[in-house]
Amino acid sequence: MPRLLRAAMLTLIPLTLVVSCNSASTAGKSGSSDGGAASVRGVTDDSIKVGGIVSKTTTSGYSKADTDLGAKARFDRANAEGGVNGRKIDYLGAEDDGQDPAKNLAAARTLVQREKVFAIAPMSSVTFSAAGFLKDQQVPVFGWGTIPSFCDQEYAYGYNGCLVPRPGHNIGLSWQDGLKHVMGGAKGKSVALVANDSDAGKFGIRTYKQGFAAAGFKVTYAKSTVPAAAAPSDWSGYIGEIMKSDGGKAPDAVVSVMQTPHNIGLFTALKRAGYKGTLTDPTDYDPGLLAKKTTRKALDGVYVFIQNEPFQSTKPAMKQFKADIKKAAGEDKPLNMHMMTGYLSADLFLAIAEKAGKDLTTKSFQQAADGFKDTGTMAGEREFPKGHEESFNCGALVRLKDGTYEVASKFRCSGTVPFK
Amino acid sequence: MLDLILSGLVSGALYALLATGLVLSYSASGLFNFAHGATAFLTALTFYELHSGLGWPAVPTALLLVLVVAPALGWGLDVLMFRKLAKVGQSAQIVATIGLLVALPALGLWMVELLTDAGAPLKPAENQFGLPGVGPDPAVTWQLLPGVGIDSNQLITWVATAVVAVALWVLLRHTALGLRLRAAVDNRELTELRGISADRLSSVAWALSSMLAGLAGVLATPLLGLSAHDYTLFLFVSATAAVLGRFASIPLAFAGGLGLGVLQNLAAEYASFADDITGFRTAVPFVLLFAGLLLLTRRQRTAGTAAVDAPPPDYLAGMSWGRRWGPWAVAGLLLGIAFYTVTTPFWSGLLAQGLAISLVFLSFTIVTGIGAMVSLAQAAFVTAAALTAGLLMSHGVPFFAAALAGTAVAALLGTVTALPALRIGGRSLALATLALAFLADQVLFQMGWLRNGDTGWEIPRPVFGPVDLSDDRAFGVAMLVLAALCVAGLAWLRGSALGRAMLAVRSAPSAATAVGVSVARTKLLLFALSAGLAGFGGVMYASYNTRITATDFTAMTGLIWLAVVVAAGLRRPQFAVVAGLVFALVPHVMEEYATESTHLPVILFGLAGLALANDPDGYCAAVPTRLHRRRATAAGPPADAAPAAEAKPVPDTPQKPDTTAALSLRGVSAGYDGAAVLHGVSLELRAGEVLALLGANGAGKSTLCKAAAGLLRPTTGEVLVGGRDATREGPVKRSRDGVVLVPEGRGIFPSLSIDENLALHLPDPAARTAVLDRFPSLAARRRVLAGSLSGGEQQMLALAALLERPPAVLIADEPSLGLAPKAADEAFALLAALRDAGTALLLVEEKAVEVLGLADSVAYLAAGRVAWHGPRSEVDTDQLTTAYLGLAADGDSEPVQDPPAEVLPDGAPLPRQERSGEDRTDEEVIRP
Repeated sequence: MPRLLRAAMLTLIPLTLVVSCNSASTAGKSGSSDGGAASVRGVTDDSIKVGGIVSKTTTSGYSKADTDLGAKARFDRANAEGGVNGRKIDYLGAEDDGQDPAKNLAAARTLVQREKVFAIAPMSSVTFSAAGFLKDQQVPVFGWGTIPSFCDQEYAYGYNGCLVPRPGHNIGLSWQDGLKHVMGGAKGKSVALVANDSDAGKFGIRTYKQGFAAAGFKVTYAKSTVPAAAAPSDWSGYIGEIMKSDGGKAPDAVVSVMQTPHNIGLFTALKRAGYKGTLTDPTDYDPGLLAKKTTRKALDGVYVFIQNEPFQSTKPAMKQFKADIKKAAGEDKPLNMHMMTGYLSADLFLAIAEKAGKDLTTKSFQQAADGFKDTGTMAGEREFPKGHEESFNCGALVRLKDGTYEVASKFRCSGTVPFK
Repeated sequence: MLDLILSGLVSGALYALLATGLVLSYSASGLFNFAHGATAFLTALTFYELHSGLGWPAVPTALLLVLVVAPALGWGLDVLMFRKLAKVGQSAQIVATIGLLVALPALGLWMVELLTDAGAPLKPAENQFGLPGVGPDPAVTWQLLPGVGIDSNQLITWVATAVVAVALWVLLRHTALGLRLRAAVDNRELTELRGISADRLSSVAWALSSMLAGLAGVLATPLLGLSAHDYTLFLFVSATAAVLGRFASIPLAFAGGLGLGVLQNLAAEYASFADDITGFRTAVPFVLLFAGLLLLTRRQRTAGTAAVDAPPPDYLAGMSWGRRWGPWAVAGLLLGIAFYTVTTPFWSGLLAQGLAISLVFLSFTIVTGIGAMVSLAQAAFVTAAALTAGLLMSHGVPFFAAALAGTAVAALLGTVTALPALRIGGRSLALATLALAFLADQVLFQMGWLRNGDTGWEIPRPVFGPVDLSDDRAFGVAMLVLAALCVAGLAWLRGSALGRAMLAVRSAPSAATAVGVSVARTKLLLFALSAGLAGFGGVMYASYNTRITATDFTAMTGLIWLAVVVAAGLRRPQFAVVAGLVFALVPHVMEEYATESTHLPVILFGLAGLALANDPDGYCAAVPTRLHRRRATAAGPPADAAPAAEAKPVPDTPQKPDTTAALSLRGVSAGYDGAAVLHGVSLELRAGEVLALLGANGAGKSTLCKAAAGLLRPTTGEVLVGGRDATREGPVKRSRDGVVLVPEGRGIFPSLSIDENLALHLPDPAARTAVLDRFPSLAARRRVLAGSLSGGEQQMLALAALLERPPAVLIADEPSLGLAPKAADEAFALLAALRDAGTALLLVEEKAVEVLGLADSVAYLAAGRVAWHGPRSEVDTDQLTTAYLGLAADGDSEPVQDPPAEVLPDGAPLPRQERSGEDRTDEEVIRP
């Protein structure tokens, strides 16, 4: 069918011409959006447009919808207090990315190209395929720095820094410090580290193995063996080795660096097998888990590491947070970490925008962020550009006991060790 | 060890329940239900909302869901789609249930959303852990031995599963319903001929299957929470058990499920040798699935392709180039211009994205459209290619070299994936590719050096010369050009020698081998081409995103892609481009103009899959095909009606309706999909008489039998049973009215025992005993499977049952075919006995001599017409000869147009001269 090919080529020639013609205009265009120009995307004399990207609905059923509420609560208060340098925040709410990379990018495009937002806050998802696009378009984005794209990306800000440091940077030791506090020191204490059977799990093991060793613990087990795709319906095969890892005995502490469904399964199985030591993980600080008897039982006694002020804190900022959430929700809603993520992402954006001053452009915003530092916030000592490379290294341990969380080790900041 | 086995039996029990359901539904409709896990999820969700949300008591709620709601869902889905799907091609089948897989959970979540908005006190349908199950909450734990504990949820799962196992065994082995179900599995058409509605049985099987899924869902709630994704993964694992049972044996599947749970546990404990292979433990179930498919799939037919996926008639055949391609060229041109004139940056971006993904979608056109093999691994090719390209570009390799390398890697991976295709085909192949896709996700793409952690690789958009593709419009136009080139290339491929070889391998592998086409090489090439194109498109798509991470395109993504492409249609490559654009644009258009809910677009995509039940060629082809069909029907009737009106001089055909006839056909014309076979046949059968129907191979005898038995609805004319018009009644009703067909090749169920075969016709045990008394050779082996009997014994079995309760009409299609002379004599003796019992017999035979001894009257069928009809005594050899040559009806022999189908449905190619006779209607000649 060569005739067909010929015809196709005929069709294509004009198109190819169009492509070539366009290139000149493209080059000119990208120069002009550099900022500093008369109109800045999403910024008017009295408002700043901000939108969010949040996984509200997912096939795994795990929802971060309340992140949206947290951000709204924080922006509402900022507006009630007169806005930032006289500009009100026009918060559009959060697009749902459904944890789908394609939708994540599409959501960012919607916000930037259609809604013309100045910044994206919060962005909370397990995927961040929009990172490249946002960088190209020079859109500051604020969220939970659990994804590498939040690290080493000049426009991306983790509300408590970059939580996945690369080798060459530093590992924070606040979790280890908290555990030392509750276990009475690290000397002679054995820990078992458990992670998912995936590259990310392997990386987590590498990070925490160094961290726990540096803090003086004896790491007797450190494996990424638990199937990552879906939590095992049966845990017996995974705990046998752990229970014997400290020279035939169970270790003093079992540290899980996995997600909630995995932790619940792991801890339930360990308890069923008669484990009596310390259990700890970094993800299960969710008062919603207390609503169910099974999870309450599974997590009873577990120390959960969090990298911001716990809800049980009596500091004024926490009181303010609770009041803001209640006002935004219109009712007494049980608090969760997603609200905190949204709230603190918005808070960081507001703090930097405040510093950028009246003349708000992407450029002035980035300049304000470079060298930004404040202390005493609910995320600890915030600092950029350090926060592009490592976390703010502050944390607390809370423990679930008899159906309520209590603070086991107060929120404080710790040192770091180099990540080899 | 003990605890590993005990707790392994819990997951095992759930696997067993799901696998059993899979086998049941597969048996009923011949399709692998990808949505089985979604049904379980939906039940779990409903259970959670009713129990935890509305506060209904656990046990009654669970019983209501398992015994009423889930079966009703299965029944409803069967009536709506599965029944129809059983009759369409395999890719449509697979895709329709994949559509359901995404649509069902979304539907449930949407309902929850709507009800919550309406004020119902439901809980948000978020995934939560440690959800209460049927038992006490929290679960009670018993410590059996030190280190060995079980809890109440586990115990409940065991007990429930055991009860189900026993109940299923009783149902299938010891009830009439079970017997019928097994019969339908064996031979669906024959079941209908025995007066048992296969549709009804299919509904029952689907209801049962859905009930088992529902039970698994309710039991798994505390284990799996509310993640539709986890339920689906769980289902794929349990598919391994179904494979163990070869999709046919329920006990094997059940045992396989239990064993799988234990095996998985043991692997988790003892797989420390593989600690260095990241992802190995995660992948264990898929390794098992893959191995199971490869080793256990029986070679039922020549491996590889979907036999039923016959390419549909091309409604555009013979049209001008302009008609075929013009609209598409214009649309492409307009789209290219639109980028620079109409569309905003946002829509430009979406269009560019849609065009980029359409390159990936085009790869389905090759492997599934041309090759008729369903690959669920395309997402793995995409990821592999993009990761390779990213890795190379990070080392400074230029874009196009990197893209080519990525394409090559994908093609290589595709060749490896194709290896199972050399051995297995159809849904087994689809599942095997799915298992490989999961393996790639969980092992290959977990390699640190390849994936670069969660960061992935940057794939900047290419800049060559003055063209900078970082502008979305330029990128969009470039993708349009590439898509157009691919479409043109594929169209050319289809018409090339290689494309013909591919089509040959698709439809007749052995014949292809015979003409020197290497089946293995062609299949590998198909996969390699398709994977390469997918990889190339993947690099482009990743460069649209400017980054690739290993989790961007998972195996599940590949499933959705396939559903989107097949829903649009695979018949022409440009449909894939339409699919790409629809995929990218529709969610946003919906958001803009319809609803904010993210569930609705998902439901719509799912429903597009369901639409395949009606339009298996997809929505792109549906419109023109339907138009074409309507035009054809508008032009059709006169052509079909004509022969009847023509009233050929058929001697001795009673012109006056005879109300005493047990069965009469009047002016019946019938055929298959455009190929008319019978042209106005009229016959009468009276009680106690034998009419022998003679005719050469391809004369339309079997078609006549089918029309008489109700398997084929006549296009014109009528069929009367006992003087009552029964033209529009199906085989079930026909059989219940006493018209029984013993089809060509014995009317028995080979997988049922002699006893069971008899029981289907004679529910009364006394009657069965009477038959066995009469035929001691059968009685001696009453528990033996009928399939192991000799041909003569099988025919004896088929007729013996009838003898005990003689039907009003018996149509026997070649009863002596393949029988030894002695056995044939016995068969004829039985037929004579039936006649004596008052049955009207229509005996169809090619070999005239034997049957003439029995016949009262004789009809010759030639080229779809009764050439001669008269009493036995008037038969003369000359007439016989001319009838056989198909020249008796008339002598004209003007050149005629070829009929649309060159092969009769019973598989016999028409001899040239007969074909010209067959289609000899004036209208056919005149019609342009």
